[in-house]
Amino acid sequence: MKSSVMIRFLGFLSLLCGVLIVGTHLLTQSLIRVNQETILRESLTQLLPGMEKQVVYEVEPSGEIVIAHGQAGGAKRIFAGYDAHGKLVGVVLEASARGYADVISAMYAYAPEKKLITGLIVVEMRETPGLGNKIGSDPEFLANFKALDASHPVGAVKHGTKRNPWEIDAISGATISSRAVGRMLSASIGEMAPVIERHRERIERGN
Amino acid sequence: MKDTAPNPFVNGLWRQNPTFVQILGMCPTLAITNSVQNAIAMGLATAFVLTCANGIIAAIRKHVPKQVRIATFIAIIATAVTITDYFVKAISIPVYKALGPFIPLIVANCLVLERAEAFAAKKPVIPSILDGAGMGLGFAFGLTCLGTVREVLGAGTFLGFPLFGPNFEPWVLFLLPPGGFISLAIWLLVFASFRERKEAKERAALVEIQHAEVKP
Amino acid sequence: MNESLSHIFVDAFLINNFVLCVFLGMCSFLGLSGKFSTSWRMGVSVMFVITVSSILSFGTNLILVFFHAEYLRLITFIIIIAATVQLTEMFIKKKSPALFRELGIYLPLITTNCAVLAVPLFQTTRGYNLLQSTVFALSASGGYCMAMVLLSLVRERTDLSDVPSLARGTALTLVLASVLSMAFMGFAGMGGGQ
Repeated sequence: MKSSVMIRFLGFLSLLCGVLIVGTHLLTQSLIRVNQETILRESLTQLLPGMEKQVVYEVEPSGEIVIAHGQAGGAKRIFAGYDAHGKLVGVVLEASARGYADVISAMYAYAPEKKLITGLIVVEMRETPGLGNKIGSDPEFLANFKALDASHPVGAVKHGTKRNPWEIDAISGATISSRAVGRMLSASIGEMAPVIERHRERIERGN
Repeated sequence: MKDTAPNPFVNGLWRQNPTFVQILGMCPTLAITNSVQNAIAMGLATAFVLTCANGIIAAIRKHVPKQVRIATFIAIIATAVTITDYFVKAISIPVYKALGPFIPLIVANCLVLERAEAFAAKKPVIPSILDGAGMGLGFAFGLTCLGTVREVLGAGTFLGFPLFGPNFEPWVLFLLPPGGFISLAIWLLVFASFRERKEAKERAALVEIQHAEVKP
Repeated sequence: MNESLSHIFVDAFLINNFVLCVFLGMCSFLGLSGKFSTSWRMGVSVMFVITVSSILSFGTNLILVFFHAEYLRLITFIIIIAATVQLTEMFIKKKSPALFRELGIYLPLITTNCAVLAVPLFQTTRGYNLLQSTVFALSASGGYCMAMVLLSLVRERTDLSDVPSLARGTALTLVLASVLSMAFMGFAGMGGGQ
C-alpha cells in the first residue's frame, strides 16, 4: 500500500474523530454545566439552610481571594451563602482524600465566627458498598458533623469512643473510610481557615 | 440465503450472548454489577458505543488500509466512547459518577473490538448497526442478570427499593469482588445446564429419528 | 495527591489488587491463566507495557492540560498504549523469536487489556506525580502478574481433579478466582491508610 494513500486515510480518520469529539463536546457543554450547577445549588442549599444568594470565591496562590467567574479552574473555592437580608449564613468548602478504594470528595459547611463545621455531604466516592459507603448515608455518622469543633485538630476515633467535640465517631467496619473523612476535613480546615479568617470581613460583606 | 442467516440483532441478544455464551467484556460485567441501576446504565452505554462504532466502521470498511486496521478500529471506538462519556454526563451526573472510570474503559472492552473485527469490518452498515445494538443489549441483559442477583442478595434491594423487611441481613459478600465472581459462575452454570438439557433433547430426538428410519 | 510511595505500592499490589479487587484485565485473566508458563510471560509483558505507557502518558497529559485539550485524553492514551505494544512486539520478536511465537495473538491483545488503559487513567484522576505514577504502574502490573500466576498454579492442579463437566472451564475459573479474591480481602486496611 502506497504511503500517500495511508497518510491520506490517517488524515481523514483524524479529521473524522476530531470533528465527532469536538462536536459532541460543544453540543453537551452547556447541558453538563447546567446539571453541575443544579447539583451544586442543591448541595449548598442543603448545607446552608436559609441561603438565598451565593458568592463563589477562588483562592489565588498568593493567598488573596477573588470572586470566581466561570468554571472551576482547579483553584480552591469558597462558597459563601447569604440569607435574604444579605447576612452570611456560612461557607461551604470542598475537601478530598484517598479513602479505601479511591478518592473521596466531600463538601462541608463551616461557620467561620464559631469555627464550627455544621454539615457534610459526600459528593463522590467509590467505597465498598454496604460498608465504607455508609459514610455518605449513615445518619449516626453524619450527625458527627452537625457541630464539629474545628478550632482543635479534627480526626476520627474508634466507634463509640468519641469524647470531645472535635472527634468523629468512626463507623464500625468502615474505619478507613471514616478516617479519610477526618483527614480531608483536617487538611482542608488547616489550609482554608486562615485564609477565611484573613478575609472574613470581605466574605461577610460578599464582595 | 438471507433467511437462513441469523438476524444479527436477535443473535446478539441470545444465541451469541456476549456475557453467557461468548464470555467477553468481563471487566465491567464483574465490576459494575453491584447494583441493578449501574448494570443497566453500563449495559446501555456499551450498547450505544457498539452501535455507533459498528456503524462508522462498516461505513468506512472498504477504505481502511490493512496495516492500520486495528489502530483504526480502536481510534473509532475511542471516539465513540468519548462521545458516550459526554452523553452520560449530560443525562445524569450521579449515574456518571457511579459508573466512574469504567466508561472510558469501554474502549478496552474486548467485546467491542471483537464485533468490529468480526462483523463490522466485513458487513454493510445496517446489519452492522443491528449487530452492535443486539450485542449491546445482550450484554446489558447479561449485566442486569448479574446485577439483580448481587443487589437482591447483597443489599436486599432492587433498583434501590427494599424488598425484604428490616430484619433481612444482607449477604454483603455478593456486593464485594468475590461475590461478583461467584454470581457469574452461577449464571454460567445455569446457562450451561440449559444448553446441556437442550443438547440432550436434540440427541434423543435424533436417536428417535434414526430408529424410525431403521424400522421398515 | 500526597500519598506515600509505600502506600501506593501496597495498595495497588495487594489491597486493591487490579485483577482480584478492581476487576481489571479480566478477559486475559480468565482466558490465559490455564498454564503457568503462559501466565508469567504474559504478566511480565504486561508489566513492561504498563510501566512504559504510564510514563509516556504522564508526559502527554501535561501537554494536553497545557492546551486545555483534556477531552483528547482517552484517544491519546490508547494510541500511546497501541504504540507501546507494537514496540514491545518488535522488541520481543528480535530478542526471543521463541517467546514471540509462544505468546502469539495474546501480545497484540494487550492493547485491549483494560488494566493497561486503567493505569494512566487512574494516575491522572488521582493526580500522581511522575514518581508516584511509576510506582503505581509497577505495583499495579505486578499485582496483575501475581494474580495471573497464582490462578494458573491453582488451575494446573484442578486440571487433574474430578470436576463436574458442567463446571469445567470458565465457571470453575471464576469460582477459583472468587476464593483468591476472598483471600486478598484479608489485606484490607494494611498499612493503616496513608
